[in-house]
Amino acid sequence: MSTDQRDGGRAGEALGPTVPRLLVGIQLHRFREAARITPEQAAYEIRASRSKISRMENGLVRFKERDVTDLLTLYGVTDEPTRSTLVTLTRQANTPGWWSKYGDIMADWFEAYLGLETAASVIRTFELQFVHGLFQTEDYARAVTMLGHTSAPADEIERRVSLRLKRQDLLNGPDPPQVWSVIDEGALRRPVGGAAVMRAQLDHLVEMAGLRHVTIQVMPFSRGGHAAAGGSFTVLRFSEPEVPDVVYIEQLTSALYLDKHEDVDHYLEVMNHLSTEALTPASSARFVAEMIRAT
Amino acid sequence: MTDVSASQGAPDPAGTGIDTTVPHSARIWNYWLGGKDNYAVDREAGDQYKEIFPGIAVVARTSRGFLTRAVRYLAGEAGIRQFLDIGTGLPTADNTHQVAQAVAPESRIVYVDNDPLVLAHARALLTSSPEGSCDYLDADIRNPAAILDTAASLLDFTRPIALMLMGIMGHFTDDEAYPIVSALQAGLPSGSYFALYDGADTNEAFNQAQEGYNASGAVPYYLRSPERFRRFFEGLELVEPGVVPLVQWRPDPGTEQAEIYSYGGMGRKP
Repeated sequence: MSTDQRDGGRAGEALGPTVPRLLVGIQLHRFREAARITPEQAAYEIRASRSKISRMENGLVRFKERDVTDLLTLYGVTDEPTRSTLVTLTRQANTPGWWSKYGDIMADWFEAYLGLETAASVIRTFELQFVHGLFQTEDYARAVTMLGHTSAPADEIERRVSLRLKRQDLLNGPDPPQVWSVIDEGALRRPVGGAAVMRAQLDHLVEMAGLRHVTIQVMPFSRGGHAAAGGSFTVLRFSEPEVPDVVYIEQLTSALYLDKHEDVDHYLEVMNHLSTEALTPASSARFVAEMIRAT
Repeated sequence: MTDVSASQGAPDPAGTGIDTTVPHSARIWNYWLGGKDNYAVDREAGDQYKEIFPGIAVVARTSRGFLTRAVRYLAGEAGIRQFLDIGTGLPTADNTHQVAQAVAPESRIVYVDNDPLVLAHARALLTSSPEGSCDYLDADIRNPAAILDTAASLLDFTRPIALMLMGIMGHFTDDEAYPIVSALQAGLPSGSYFALYDGADTNEAFNQAQEGYNASGAVPYYLRSPERFRRFFEGLELVEPGVVPLVQWRPDPGTEQAEIYSYGGMGRKP
């Protein structure tokens, strides 16, 4: 039994390749350890390097179906249902996600995030500076994009904005994830794109907060210092019991993905502190409504 | 959606009250159920417990199964549309409102807990169908009058209500528990239902594991004899088959039969 809100897995296409890739990797690792086979021995079997085995087991690369079946044979996995499940997952892992056509404007490290976001069942975020990408209006998204890409031509800016809006389809799909966001008051006060854009953004936020699968909590200035000394971060949860939570921390030119127990524990603890310290969802809605009234 | 506090005036908790240095009952339960909302301290305590009493994971699953069948019965055959669920715990697969609203989408649920972590999760993740409602009440069960008072502003007390105490009364000694339960039952209208389960003291390993847990600094939980469970239902009409091991309470065809160390039942207020 999982602790998630939702039991049903999503169809392979909607899920994208990321979680199948993680699942294949986790199971290959488990079978290899159980068979007491070293990464070197496994690498020799499929004429690859030791680091390729490690990247496969961490779900970081595409798999060749032949490599997966050869490794399963080497690990003594002969059970036909198990083998065929893994082959199916391998095929899903190689299906391009909806975002693949934006490859030209997207860094690899961000592409991985889109895969995780698309597959997650619960997305918890803390936002210090900006409203989260899933909640941005087109004008706000354009203003944020222009801040980050000052020298980009107009058509590239528009493609970036369109990618961001396309991401939001997730919230309108048939089986959306639960998005649970704590937003620092600073992100709500900063008039990105100007006062009119910001006001429309706050209106949009109130509308989003009314969705059953969206929770918005404001961390007001009046709370003083709070637990997230480090800045914005996201915790992604997946309905598959085998797949651990992933913490995502975006930097200017790269991103961190953490999935080790000790890291996830720490970030989950900070997120829990933030969620209990912030205004409740009902009080947050009143808080934002009051901000709108005052502008 | 309403957040109300029966203990303080302010709707927002001032401190977080999250302690990650001692095991926490909702988080350890989440660990036994295979969830991901637990920390190292909970996993260690949970593993120690399992070493002494390996059946605990089955106990955890069994009790969730009972909750599901009980709520389905209440919303179905008993026709109940209002639920007062005290001691909510962290969200899991089949939460009270999901089971009730799957039968009757207009069901209204009041979740009550005094744990800030549980309340934050409930407000974010235990959200109602558009037809019904979920409210979240920050209150301590040791003050039943305050719970009833606040619940009266959220539920219609002229119509039957199902009071659910699922795995919570074990946190109290008999001297505390019986008066709390009678006070809550007394405040409900005629035709209301009461459902409860807790762990029983009928297995030596279970008793031993629980003693170890209670010595760990966690909020203690006491196992009760089956006879002492029946006292919670005095004055009520017991729903068949009465107060029994959970697996024997209206089992589904696939219900696991292995575990007989948690007891529960359901009664109707005449």
